[in-house]
Amino acid sequence: MVPKISVKNLNMAYDKYMVMRNLSFDVQQGEIFLIIGQSGCGKSTLLKYLLGLRRVNHQKIFYDGRDINSVINVPSFYGEKIGVLYQGGALWSSMTLAENVALPLETYTPLGREEIEEIVTLKLSLVGLKGFENFYPSQISGGMQKRAGLARAIALDPEILFFDEPSAGLDSVSAKRLDDLILELKESLGITVVIVTHDLASIFAIGTRAIYLDVESKTITAMGTPHELLMSSNDKNVIAFLSRGTKIAQG
Amino acid sequence: MTGIAELKLENENIAIISIAGTWNIYENHPHAEEFIDTILSKPSLQKVDLKFVDLKSWDCVLINFLIHILNACESKNLTVNIDNIPTGIRRLIELSKSSPVRNISSTSRKKPTILEFIGSVGLLIFLSLRTFLDFMEKLWVGIISFIGGKVKIRSQEFAVVLQEVGVKALPIVFLISFLVGLIIAFVSILQLSQFGANIYVANLVGISMMREMGCIMTGIIMSGRTGAAFAATIGTMVVNDEVDALQTAGFSTINFLVLPRVIALTLMMPLLYIFSAFIGIFGGLCAAMFTTDLTVVRYCTQTANAVHLNDFFVGIIKSCFFGFLVAATGCQKGLQCKRSAEDVGLTTTTAVVTSIVAIIIMDAIFAIVFSLFGI
Ligand SMILES: Nc1ncnc2c1ncn2[C@@H]1O[C@H](COP(=O)(O)OP(=O)(O)OP(=O)(O)O)[C@@H](O)[C@H]1O
Ligand SMILES: [Mg+2]
Repeated sequence: MVPKISVKNLNMAYDKYMVMRNLSFDVQQGEIFLIIGQSGCGKSTLLKYLLGLRRVNHQKIFYDGRDINSVINVPSFYGEKIGVLYQGGALWSSMTLAENVALPLETYTPLGREEIEEIVTLKLSLVGLKGFENFYPSQISGGMQKRAGLARAIALDPEILFFDEPSAGLDSVSAKRLDDLILELKESLGITVVIVTHDLASIFAIGTRAIYLDVESKTITAMGTPHELLMSSNDKNVIAFLSRGTKIAQG
Repeated sequence: MTGIAELKLENENIAIISIAGTWNIYENHPHAEEFIDTILSKPSLQKVDLKFVDLKSWDCVLINFLIHILNACESKNLTVNIDNIPTGIRRLIELSKSSPVRNISSTSRKKPTILEFIGSVGLLIFLSLRTFLDFMEKLWVGIISFIGGKVKIRSQEFAVVLQEVGVKALPIVFLISFLVGLIIAFVSILQLSQFGANIYVANLVGISMMREMGCIMTGIIMSGRTGAAFAATIGTMVVNDEVDALQTAGFSTINFLVLPRVIALTLMMPLLYIFSAFIGIFGGLCAAMFTTDLTVVRYCTQTANAVHLNDFFVGIIKSCFFGFLVAATGCQKGLQCKRSAEDVGLTTTTAVVTSIVAIIIMDAIFAIVFSLFGI
């Protein structure tokens, strides 16, 4: 089967500063794929490359077997195929929460106003923000902004969801709720999910496969299920990164 | 008590550094350089012993001191006896050493030669011109597809911008234009009254407001007011990832952010210009009423005779261009903002300065072109 996303020998750099080199991995349909690694190793940067926000050579990143440079020019690619939750939510600050969620629906679907309103309310209630439709992003807390960002990301039920540190800044109950929601989306809609995360609890709870980006060798040093990484990796950095989570993993 | 450190040579090969007293950032304390100089000046030295005799309290200055000493010894391959270092201090030193170093090719800090300087300035101008032209290309594609009906802009956003650059700008445009008209009139009357030619103040004020001052003043006001606001708003959106979010939601930043602003200002600027020109003439009229014996009717007929329709069209055309220029510059600088709050401020300033300079240059070009065609 053609992988949903495929990365081949990708090098990432800011001007002359090489962040990571020779990254190769595949993300399969319906996976919850984790990108883990120490702070500053280049996870957010990798996400930017995957999203087409940084220019990349041909034959490096593929979506459903097609080169990213050819798919990002298809207008519906961003709207319908992928949804993104940014580290800080990145809500459009001149619009209310409802307008934020409604905008993709208005643009890409032929739905009527009433139906759009209903879907907006539905999406907001999925992330626990029912009743906040007419609030502006500046009027709600950071964690709430993030959840509203998620509601916007799933507005069109995209095929692939990207998350940059979804649980950072959330309390453990909200984080658990978010994990459940991600699992639910994956199981019921078959969505593929790519998550950048530090959160060990959710790594072991929801991750189907993970890659570890190593700061020192500047490449991927481990790949597999979270438990495989913890149990059978012989890289001491990987073990150190994950071993704070042993108790959670076994418990 | 302040921090104390003493270096004693036990023999040819061994030096002892004893450390005592209170080492903190508020008190005086010795600096590592003196000790390092002494250590390095003794080639026969093989070992350095650290002793802590009467250490009362310490903080980061002591750690910094010790790290310098340890590094110097390491570079000279001296053995250091660190057993005596109190555990807390040792742990912090180890912690500071375990931080991974980002080994980026260190950019040389040497002063650039004059040729390098000229080259880098040239490159900078070339690159910023290229990004501006790139932006312009995309903007024109956007404008053409808007005119062709292929692109729609959000009506709410457009209405808000329209109000912001139109009605809300009227008070300041009124104030400035009135005063400019007044000033031109006062200065002219002083000169003209010497020849008893007071009536020509109407010509001077009318023509200068219609042809030049009306559109230049609105251009400058709008670049300080609206161009700056565009740059700051869009810059903040870049900082908060909102622009990335637009892109990954499939919206073109040009169509979504830039087009409504550029179209709104290009449409509103001529209206502001007309307003400004008439208010300026009114200002001149007020000045003339105060200082001369001209009547309102005479002043107005004189103005009507002096100002021709082509002066008015010149003003309209110029103000359209200025509006486009101010909005495009503001948006382009905003989109170029890097990801920090500081950069938003910088971006805003650059946007204002660039658009004011551009307005003046444009105006000079217009003046030449119009005089060539005799308009
Ligand atoms: N705009 C930039 N210009 C230059 N270097 C950058 C830029 N953004 C990030 N970097 C560098 O790239 C590296 C990776 O940054 P990135 O933001 O991808 O890290 P990260 O893995 O997401 O970290 P965190 O977990 O803390 O969010 C860092 O060393 C950083 O210094
Ligand atoms: Mg990050």
